[in-house]
Formats: sequence, C-alpha cells, structure tokens
Amino acid sequence: MQTALFLLQRLARDKTALFGALLIVGLILVALLAPILATHPADVAEFHPAERLQGPSATHFLGTDRMGSDIYSRLLFGARITIVIALIAVGTSVLIGVPIGLLAGYYRTWFSDLLMRVSDIFLAVPQIVLAIAIAQTLGPSIENVILALSITYWPFWARLVYAETRSALNNTYVEASIALGASPMRVLFLHVLPNISSSIIVRTTIGMGGTILTAAALGFLGLGPPPPTPEWGRTIAESREFLPDAWWYATAPGVAIFLVVMGFNLLGDGLRDILDPRTRRSRQ
Amino acid sequence: MIRRRSMLKAFGLGALALLAAIAMPLAPAGAKTKFVFANASPYDNLDPHMILDVGRVASRINMYDGLLRWLDNPAKIEPWLAESYTISPDGKIYTFKLRKGAKFHDGTEIKASDVVYSMERILAAGGQSAPLFAPLIKPGTTKAPDDYTVEFHLAQPSAIFLAIVPEVHVLNTALVKKNEKDGDWGKVWLSKNEAGSGSYALRRYDPAIGFTAERFKDHWNKSWGPKPIDEIEFRTVIELNSRVLGLLKGDFHGTDGYLPQDQIKRLRDSKDIYIGEAESTRIFYAIIHNGREPMNDINFRKALSYAFDYDGFNKNILSDSVARNPVPLPNNIWGAPKGVKGYTYDLDKAKEYLAKMDKPPREINIAWMQGYQQTEQSAALFQAGLNKIGIKTKIVSDPWSVVSTRMRDKEQMYDILFLWKSTYYADPNNWVGEMYACNQIGQRNNSWYCNPEVDKLLMEALETTDQEVRRKNYEKASTMVMEDAGGIFVYNTKWFGPFNKKVTGVRFCPIGDGQEMRWASMEN
Amino acid sequence: MRIIALVLKRLTWFVPTLVGLLLIVFTVSHIIPANPAVVLAGEGATQAQIDAIKEKFGLDQPLPVQFWRYLKSVVSGDFGTSLYTQRPIAEDLLTRVPATLELTLITIVIAALLGIPLGVIAAARRNSFIDHALRFFTVSGLAIASFWLAILFQLLFAMKLGWTPLQGRADSWGPDPVTGFFVIDAIIQGDWDIFSDVVSHLVLPVMTLAFPAMATIVRFTRAGVLDAINSNYVLYEQAMGLPQRVIVWKYVLRNALIGTVTQIGLIFGILLAGAVVVESVFDWPGLGLYAVNSILRSDYNGIMGFTLITGTIFILVNLLVDILHGTIDPRGAG
Repeated sequence: MQTALFLLQRLARDKTALFGALLIVGLILVALLAPILATHPADVAEFHPAERLQGPSATHFLGTDRMGSDIYSRLLFGARITIVIALIAVGTSVLIGVPIGLLAGYYRTWFSDLLMRVSDIFLAVPQIVLAIAIAQTLGPSIENVILALSITYWPFWARLVYAETRSALNNTYVEASIALGASPMRVLFLHVLPNISSSIIVRTTIGMGGTILTAAALGFLGLGPPPPTPEWGRTIAESREFLPDAWWYATAPGVAIFLVVMGFNLLGDGLRDILDPRTRRSRQ
Repeated sequence: MIRRRSMLKAFGLGALALLAAIAMPLAPAGAKTKFVFANASPYDNLDPHMILDVGRVASRINMYDGLLRWLDNPAKIEPWLAESYTISPDGKIYTFKLRKGAKFHDGTEIKASDVVYSMERILAAGGQSAPLFAPLIKPGTTKAPDDYTVEFHLAQPSAIFLAIVPEVHVLNTALVKKNEKDGDWGKVWLSKNEAGSGSYALRRYDPAIGFTAERFKDHWNKSWGPKPIDEIEFRTVIELNSRVLGLLKGDFHGTDGYLPQDQIKRLRDSKDIYIGEAESTRIFYAIIHNGREPMNDINFRKALSYAFDYDGFNKNILSDSVARNPVPLPNNIWGAPKGVKGYTYDLDKAKEYLAKMDKPPREINIAWMQGYQQTEQSAALFQAGLNKIGIKTKIVSDPWSVVSTRMRDKEQMYDILFLWKSTYYADPNNWVGEMYACNQIGQRNNSWYCNPEVDKLLMEALETTDQEVRRKNYEKASTMVMEDAGGIFVYNTKWFGPFNKKVTGVRFCPIGDGQEMRWASMEN
Repeated sequence: MRIIALVLKRLTWFVPTLVGLLLIVFTVSHIIPANPAVVLAGEGATQAQIDAIKEKFGLDQPLPVQFWRYLKSVVSGDFGTSLYTQRPIAEDLLTRVPATLELTLITIVIAALLGIPLGVIAAARRNSFIDHALRFFTVSGLAIASFWLAILFQLLFAMKLGWTPLQGRADSWGPDPVTGFFVIDAIIQGDWDIFSDVVSHLVLPVMTLAFPAMATIVRFTRAGVLDAINSNYVLYEQAMGLPQRVIVWKYVLRNALIGTVTQIGLIFGILLAGAVVVESVFDWPGLGLYAVNSILRSDYNGIMGFTLITGTIFILVNLLVDILHGTIDPRGAG
C-alpha cells in the first residue's frame, strides 16, 4: 500500500508520465462508456449504404465509412477490442514468461539452458512474422489474435526475468539466504521476485504498447477479428481504397492507436525512472 | 541534360525552330510506341497451361495462339490457327485444318504435331486448364494424320468442346523439349520464358515486376490495329491508388476494368483518359450449402434470398456500376431467361418463409475471401439483414487457397460464401451448367444442389448440338435454380476499362478482358 | 579468449536454433486446412488430378516425413519449389533479399547519421526546448503504427503533392541487375535517370522505417551521453579546463556510441519487423512482402525459405553485436 502511494506521488511529479497515465485512463473510460458516448451505438453491426463515405459533420463527428456507419461510434467500441487483446495477451505472456525465466535463472542446468534456447528460437524472427503465421493458421478472430500474440510474446519476459534473476542471485543477501538453507521457492518468491518486479512492471507497461501496435498490424493485414468488428487496424486497411477523397476514414483510428501506445510508453518511461535506479540518471 | 541545354543555347532560337520542324515529322516514324498496363494480380507464372484465371490473362492471350479464339462482346468463337473444322456425325471426332505458314516466334512453322504435343502436355502436366479437358479427352488419343490436320477423339459427345478449344495454347514443341528438365514438360522454363506464336513475343520478365513483349511482325494474322502498338508492358501494381495515380500521370495507359466507382470518377475528370464500358459476363453471387441443415429447407433459402439488400449493395456501395442479375447466368448471354424479376430485399417476405420452417434455424456462417473487399462488404451487409429477421450469423474469411479447398468438401464447406463466377468460355455451361449439375458436386458444383429435373435439362443441353434446345433448356434450368433459391444471385459485372486517349481501338471480349492488344492503336 | 568461447558456444546453438525455428514454422504452416494442390489443380479438378499434384510435391506424405525431407534438401542447398510460381524458392528469394537489405541498410545509415547527433544535442542541452521537442519526437516514433504513417506519407507526398511515387521499387524495370541493389546498379551503369527514379521510390518507405529506428537511436545516444558526462573522467577533463564542446563531441560521444552500437541488433529487429508491414503498404518486392504473400497463399516452401533466411540473418546480426559488445565492453560479455 505504502509503495503504491509512493509510486503515485512520484508519478504525480512527472508530468509526461502523468500525461501517459491520463491517456490510458481515457482509453479505459472510453471503452467502458462506449454505449453512452456513442452517437450511433447500433452502427457497430448496422449499415446504411445510402450514407456511405460522408465527411465529418454534426451528425457524424468523424464521418462515415464504406458501409455508411458512423466512424466515431465504431472508434469508441474499437477501444474495447484493443484493451481486451492487449490485456489478455500481455497477461498470458507474463504468466508464461516470468515463471520460466525464474526457474531457468535459478537452476543452471541443461534444462534451464534448453528453456532459454527455446525462447531464443522464438526471438530468432521478428515477432510479427510468427504472429501472422499463427493468426493465419487459426483463422481471423479475437481469440486467435490473442493466442498468436501470447505464443510469440512470452519469450521477451522469459529473457528479461532470466537475466534479472541471475544478477539478483549474485546479491549478497540472496547468497546469504541460500547459504542459510532457504528453499528455492522461498528464495525465488521472497527475495528474487520482489527484487526484479520493478523491471517486470516497466517491461509490461511498455509491452502493452508494443502489443497494441502488433495487434493493429495484424488487423491491418486482415488477420484480426472479422468484420463488422470495429477493430482499428482493420478500419485503416479498409480506408485505403477510398483515398485520397475519404481522408477522414483512416485519420481517427490512426490517431487513437498513436495516443494509446504513447500513453503506455510514457507511463513505462516514468515508471522506469522511478523504479529502476540504474537508469534514473538518464532522465535528469 | 546539361549538355543538351547548352547546345540548344548555342544554336539559338532560330536553329531550335528549324530543328523542331525537321524533327516533328520524323519522330512518330522513328520512335516506338509502348503501351503500359497496370495489373492487380502478379504475373508470377507465364505458363499458358498452368494459369487459367482472368486476372493474368494478358500473358497467354498476347503471346500465344490457339486453334480458335474468342472475340468481341458478347463473345463469338472465330477461327484462328485453324482455318476450319469438321465434326463427325456422332459428335465425337473433331478435325481441325491448320493454317499453312503460321510461324512461332523463332520462325519455325506451326505443325499439327505441336497441337498434339500441347494437348498431351495439358493433360499430363496438371495445370489449371487440365480439368477442362480431362473429362473429354484421354491422353494419347489426339492424332495428327498430316502436318496440317489434327483430330481430337472425345470420350463422349460434348456441346462445349469448341468453346474450350481456345484454351489449347499451342507450344513450340522443339523449344520446350530442349528446355525440359527431368521430364517436367518444361514447367520451370515456361514459367518465365515463352514458346508461342502470338501477336507479341516476350522480351523481358521478372515475376516481381511483370513482362514486356514486342510486336511479332511475322504473325500470320495481318489484321492489326491501324497504328499497331510496338511494345506492350504488363506490370504488376497491386495497390489500387497507384494504378489510378499512374494513369492520371500518364505512366500507365490502361488498367483493369473493375475499379471502384469512386476511383472511376477521379479518372473521368482527367482530360487524358477515357473509360471504355461494356457489360461483361462475370456474375457475383453467394453459394448456399444446399446439402446441409437448415439450408436444405427451401423456406430457409427463400428467406435468405429475401434478406439481402440488393439495391443497397448494387446502387449504393457499388454506386450503380453493376447490373442486377437474378439468375445463375449472366443477363447478356444466350440462354438467360428474359423478364425474370428474381428476389428483392423484402424482410416481411423473409419472415413469412422463416415462419414456415419446422424449427428456428441455427446460427449460420457467412464466408468471404481475404483480399476481396467486395466479398467482405456483401457478407457484412447480409449479416445486418439477417440480424433484422432474427437469424444469428458468424462472419468468417479465408484466403483463396483455403476457400478453394473447403469448397470441395461437403463437411468443410461454409454455409454461405460470396464470390464471382468468371468467364472461362462463353457458353451457359460455364455458369449454370457447372454450378448446379449433379455430377459436378464437390468439383464445380459447390452448393451440393441437385435437382433431378434441372439436372436432366443441363445434361441434355451438354450433349445436344441443337442450339434451340440448348437455349430453352438453359432458360428453364436457370429459372428453376432461382425459384429453388439454390444461391443468392446479386449482379453481373460491368467493365469500365480506363485507357489513355493515345490508345484507341481496344476490343473488349469477356474472355480476354479487353487486354488483347493486337487490335489497338497507339499515338506517340 | 572469452570472445572465442562465446562465439563457439553461440555457433553450436546456431543450427539447433534454426532447426527448431523451422520446426515451429513448419508445424504452424502445415496445420492450415489449405490444400495448395487444390488451387494448383485449378477449378473443377478431379480428386485424381489433385492427388497427382500432391504426390509430385510430396504433400501426400505424413508431416514428419515431409519435414525430414525438407531438412535434407535444405542441407543440400535446395529450398524446394514454390507451389505458386513453380520456380525454386532460392531463385525467388535471391531477388528479394537485396530489395529488403537495400531498404533496411539505407534506413539504418540515415537513422544513425541523424539520430546520433540529435541524441548528443538532446543530452548536451538537456531540459531545453530542443530536448523536449526531441523527446516528443522519440516517443512518437515508437508509438506510431508504421502502416498508418506509411499511408499518411502516401496521402501527403504522393497523392496530394505528387512529389514521390506511391509505391514500388522503380518506375519500370530499374537498372539491369548486377548486385540486385538498385542504387548501386544504377551508379555502376551510370544511368542517372534510373538512379533518380530509384532514389525517389526509396524516399517514402525509408522515411517510414527510419522514424522508429531514429527514435531508438536518439534515446540510446542521449542516455549514453548523459551517463558518460556524469562519469568521473569527464569531471577530470572539465577540471583540466577543456571546453565543454570538445568534451562532449570528442570524449563523451566515443563512449556513448558504444551503447548505441550494441543496440544495432535491436534496431535491425525493429526494421525487419517493420519491413513486413511497410513492404506490404509500399508494394516493395522484398522479403517481408514475400512472407506475407506466402503465408496468405499457404505456399509452404516460401514460408520456410523466408524463415530460414530471416532467422539466419537475425541470429548472425545478434551474434555480431554480442561480439562487438564483448570486445568494446568486456563487462557485458557472457
């Protein structure tokens, strides 16, 4: 509780981090209140072909799309998809990657070597390529996007936790507690994990941004959730056929992605400065 | 550039005028004309027997010749490498007389043996044109009694054999054999080289870019456009906006005729561009899986047919660029019934038919093809319509490779699938005959629709050569399929071919898609 | 000595990593219900025709057998045949690799040439207006979706202003291939029309890709410079009375660069990943577009070939970076 309070106090002093946090709170609010804020909530699944491709106006704040649906309303509902994908995918990656990293870092056996080599394999090609292949195999849907991102994303946490665990084990007090006969679980969860949790939090916050970008790219390539899902990346892909006339079509979702990812990155930077004394100097 | 500029300065203005006067009449005679076409599909294989789709028709139709050729719109079949043909009384032997003196690009004469070789290659090499011929012609049965006579021996009489003969693109046997590797029928070599006799001869090719071909002046057919194009270049330009911009800038002189109307509008505003228009024969429809519950209930199928917003799709989303086509035959081909209204978007009627069902239908899936925005839009629109009458749906999509696999399997086939049926040969059998005949189930009939009455009409039309009988049968059969709501028939495509005004005399035919360039002329 | 041990250790893992990677991609790509033989056989083919094609490409064999066969042929230098183009994969890839390398290498050079000085400036004038502006710039660079940025550039520079081409690598054929790098080939042949055409086609994709790469470089350079400024020897130089500018550019930068150079592996990863999306938008005939197309068409051998090439490049670059890191900064090795 106290640490949380300390964190908040420190964050409040860091203007850019605060701005990032505000953006994220904004995203969450928009997602929660989408049905209230939307002017045409039914347009998530309903079309009005006669009103297609109209520019921004008082009825349609951000114009209409190729099916005559209200882009503003669809944008709000798209926030829900973005949050769901990023939260579950990153959460799963953390749940897989952190234990693997801890164990591999603690036991320096052939098995931990193997675990790390397996994660190397996943890191040997750009994440998006594997994600495309998996998403394509499983078929476009929200669940499959989450699955594809989780499968390809856990090694990042495994690598990080592995390295951090190994350096934490060199700490005198951890060495001491091992010498005193503490069980591996006790060492890992009481001494190592708290010691490295700040790195995990920072990596996870920034990872949210990266995941949102990758998910949007999958949607852009047509591998995201199917239509009429108002996913942002898909909306941008749809708009290409109607450029340059329908300039408003891609603008709103692109800005939305940009702001949300920026929010996570700024917050992550801020957290890093507060939590990780080794890099703190870089921001002075 | 710099050198040229200083030279001009030295000559002075008078000299410049003189130069211009001399140069003017000389330029058109000296400079070659080059036509550049921007194509949406990549020319990743030039082999005329491997590739049959319309998106890549330019390579085979410009560089290869067949015995017969489809021309004009509505398409008519004309003698080409063959001067004439005869059919035996039992309808099983087709004898073609070859034109003498027709030459391949390397100067060797085209002989009957080349036709025999090409036919055998189609049957053996397993390309996309093989399925057209395999049911009719067995390997080893095609004969060349002399150098200018070819005999095809059909397994059974067929009313459509002549219609598919243009797909027998004749290869230069000696050239292919020379480049054959491990008995591959020259497949690797022909994927990037050419061994034909067509109006243009391949000069340069790169699978990532496209191909350039030069006019073959020794072609046997001397009826070219008045100012024939010297060089044609077909380039792959996937991005729609690049094709349009390139046309506006004058970098491209033509592109495909199926651009969205918003883009056609932009092109019409340019003074350098004109849009050729023709009603093509490419219908857009939804396959309904008739062999599966609940679509095997005619009431449900009728409800489906009344729940698609035809006008919203054709008039609004496609800006009226297509023609409503209510039956599984293009309106403008013989055999299409006249005055048939078809279904309309009428949710009350849909509910009526829904009420007649024994039990409420389950959730159904609607499939579209990745990369084809229209199929996606139609699926979404259909879902919205069905939503209003209480039918739950799920939209799924796959790339063509997956779609085509699932289409062949009764279990894997989607409930509903939006797609086009293009023209491979201009005979009603290309549409209703292949799409709804019982013996095509799992191959080209992907609806698992089998109505014995319809089938009898189709089979009779396939065997008889009596044109009147055929016409009546196809009129009846396609009306019956429509009444059975065997599929959801949406529109027939109109072709809007944008061309630079320098290019004239483009001769549109649905099979060549307006891309056979020998008829066209070009100013410099 | 430690370096050699490191390299040896990494090299022994090189082959198993690649095989593992291939195994994953093989498994993933082959569970797709797609049957490429059906597409190849054409519309309305009979089962017999399809089976014949399956047999020819070995698609009728059980998956482990197919994988084993594939590995064996890769060892003998044969990457298999594309199910689509009927050409050897190696031949298709050979034209694609230079396209992607040309794009990414030019991007790295430009990003470094601009990013390093900007990073130094940001550090030297920290908390000034320039520093804040650059901070906004770097945060944006890592937050913007590259496909959206690409479309914005196309909209502005190609469609509205008409300054650059919309997409592609050259207006027509480009220079005759010698090295496959169009810029170099155009220079070799001294054809300046083609050269300027090629360069104009590079502008938008390079700008799109360079944005995040530059942002990364600016960040690391800035952090490295600040680290160095605060270190003891700089305090010493300052005490010696050397002017601030000399200290920053001459002493500090050299040390800060070490940090940046070791991030090249990371940046290269960002670029390769970015290339997949950016090449799709700009229709750039490189590896990324090839991968996307192969995946969408279930061209198995194409997917595997891409994986093999990218995996190899990626592992080698990272190895190289580790060696660099070990040589420059022995503390970090291992």
